[in-house]
Amino acid sequence: MSEDLKTEIKDRALEIRNLPTLPLALTEVSTLLDDPEVSTDEVARVIGRDQVLSAKVLKMVNSPVYGFPGRIGSVQHSLVLLGLNVIRGVIISTSVFDIMVESMAGLWEHSLGCATACQRLARRAGFKDPEEYSVAGLLHDLGKVVTACQMPDVKARIDEVVAADDLTYFEAERKLLGFGHDRINAWIAEHWKLPLRLKEGMAMHHKPQLAQYYPDVAAVVHIGDFLTRVYEFGSGGDDQAVPLKPEALKLLKLTMCDLEVVLDELEGDLSEIAGLRFA
Amino acid sequence: MSAIDLPRRVFLLSEDRELARTLDGLWPVEGQIAGPVVSVFARGRSALEEIFEQPPDLLLVDGRLADLPFTEVVALVKGENVYRQLPVVACLTPAAAAALDPAAVEIDDFLLLPIEPAVARARLELTMSRAARSLDANPLSRLPGNTSIISRIQNLIDLRQDFALAYVDLDHFKSFNDAYGFARGDEVLLMTARILANTVRDLGAALSFVGHVGGDDFVCIVPVELAEKACLRIIDSFDRIVPSFYDPADAVRGGLRSTDRQGQLREFPLMAVSIAVVFNLGGSLTHFGQVSAIAAGLKKKAKEKVKSSYVLDRRREGNGQPA
Repeated sequence: MSEDLKTEIKDRALEIRNLPTLPLALTEVSTLLDDPEVSTDEVARVIGRDQVLSAKVLKMVNSPVYGFPGRIGSVQHSLVLLGLNVIRGVIISTSVFDIMVESMAGLWEHSLGCATACQRLARRAGFKDPEEYSVAGLLHDLGKVVTACQMPDVKARIDEVVAADDLTYFEAERKLLGFGHDRINAWIAEHWKLPLRLKEGMAMHHKPQLAQYYPDVAAVVHIGDFLTRVYEFGSGGDDQAVPLKPEALKLLKLTMCDLEVVLDELEGDLSEIAGLRFA
Repeated sequence: MSAIDLPRRVFLLSEDRELARTLDGLWPVEGQIAGPVVSVFARGRSALEEIFEQPPDLLLVDGRLADLPFTEVVALVKGENVYRQLPVVACLTPAAAAALDPAAVEIDDFLLLPIEPAVARARLELTMSRAARSLDANPLSRLPGNTSIISRIQNLIDLRQDFALAYVDLDHFKSFNDAYGFARGDEVLLMTARILANTVRDLGAALSFVGHVGGDDFVCIVPVELAEKACLRIIDSFDRIVPSFYDPADAVRGGLRSTDRQGQLREFPLMAVSIAVVFNLGGSLTHFGQVSAIAAGLKKKAKEKVKSSYVLDRRREGNGQPA
C-alpha cells in the first residue's frame, strides 16, 4: 500500500471542518433548544442518539479552549460543561446532508443500535459506567461518515467494491486503501483530543485483542457491532455478517449464555428505537 | 475599582494647554455623579513619582512630550508588575499613530489629535472599565475575582436585596494536586468553574453571579429560593464528572494512595464539593465581612462529611423566613 495515499487520505479526513448530520436529528435538537425550560439531560438524551452531534459536542468539550483536553467521554457531562448556550451555537452552525440522506440513515441506525448493544454488554460485564461504552459504540463508524463527506469519490469506489466483490465495507476499504475506517477513527480521535478510552473503542473494534490500553472498550464495541448486525439493524455499509472474535468474549469474561441474555434485552431495545425515524 | 467609591483619577502628561483644557472639560460635574478628576502634568519626569506613589485609574500621555519620550513613560509603567494593570492611553498625531509599533509600545489605546471630546470620553471610559474587568478576572478561569465579588455582594447588601451566597470549595484538592501535579489540578478548577457557571445560568434568574476567589474557592450568588436546587445540581454534576480527571486505576479504586511526608501510605477519597450558603433576608446583613465570617463557620460543618455536601445558614429560620 502506498504511504502517499495514506497521507493524502489522512489529510483529507482531518480537514473536515463541519460534519453534517441528518435533518431530522438536527430539527429535533433545535426544537428542544427553543424551549427555555429545557433541561441539559433532555438535550443530552437526544444528542446522544446522533453520532455526528455527539462527536461535535465531545470534540468541543475536549478542545484545549476549555482546559481539560482528553478528559470527557460522556455526552451528558459534555453538556453540563459546555452549557446550553454553547450547544445552541454548535447546533446553529451544523449543516445537514443534502444528498446521501437515505444511505446515511442506515449508518445512523446501525450506530445507534451498536451504542445500545454496547450499553447492554457493559452492564452485563459488570462495568461501572455503561455510558462510556455506548458512546464508543455510537462513534465506531464515524470514519465512514468522514469518508462520505470529505471523500465522496473514495466512498463511491468502496461501495462499488462492496457490491462487485461481495465484501464487507471494512474488507473493501482495506482492499482499496490498505486501511479501514478504524484507522480514520484513530486519526480523528487523536486530532480532536477525545479521551483514550473512546479512541480505543473507535480504533480497535475490529481487532480488540490488540488494544493496548483499554481492551475492554474495544471488545465491547466489537461485540456490539456484531450483535447489531445479527439483528440487521440499520446498515454498516454492506449486508454481510461480521465474524465474532472469541477473544473479545474472553476479554470481558462473558459466556455464550451472557450473550444470549444480551441479545434478548437488545431485541426489546431495538424495537423501541426502530420507532425513531432517521430520514 | 475600589470598594469605597472614591472619584477616579486621570493623569495627563502634556505641555499642550489646549489639550489639557479639553480633557479637563470631558467630565463636567453633573449633580451627584462625580466624574474622574483630571490632573495635568506639563513635564513627564515630575509626574513619575506621583504615578508610582499613587497610581491613577488612567494615564494619558501626549506623544509629543518633550522632556521624556512617551514610549519611555509607557515602558516604565508597563515594565513593573505592580503598575502593569494601569491603563495607558497615548495622544498621538495621525502620523505618529500610523507609525506606532504595538509590539514595542505597550499602550492600551490611543486618541487621535486633535481630540474630539465626545468620542474621547467614550473611549477613555471604555478603557477604564476594560482594565477593571481584566485586572480582576481570575487568570485561570477568567471568572470575576475578589474585587468584583466584594463589590457585588456589598451592592446587594446596600440595596437590601435578598440573596443567597454560596461559598464553594473542593475537598482533597491538595492531595490531588500533590499526586498528579498542578496542571492536572488546574484542569479540575476549570471543570468546576464550568459547572458553576452553567448551573447558575441555567437557573434562569436575573440575580446570579459566579466568581473565583482563587485556588479551589468559588462563590455563587443566586436567588434565595433557588439556593438549595443550585447546591444539589452542582454536587450531582461534580460527583459524576470528577472521576474522569483521575487515572483509571484511581477512579476505579475511588481515591488516591500516596505517601505523606512521614513516609506513611495514606488514602485520599475522590475530590468532593463543599458548599456553605449564607442568606441575606430582609436586610439581615449589613456588611460583607459578616458574610465571610458566617460562611467560615458553616464551612467547617460541610467539611465534616467525606462526601460532597452543602450547609445552609440556619439563622434564616430564626429570622422567621420561609424555608
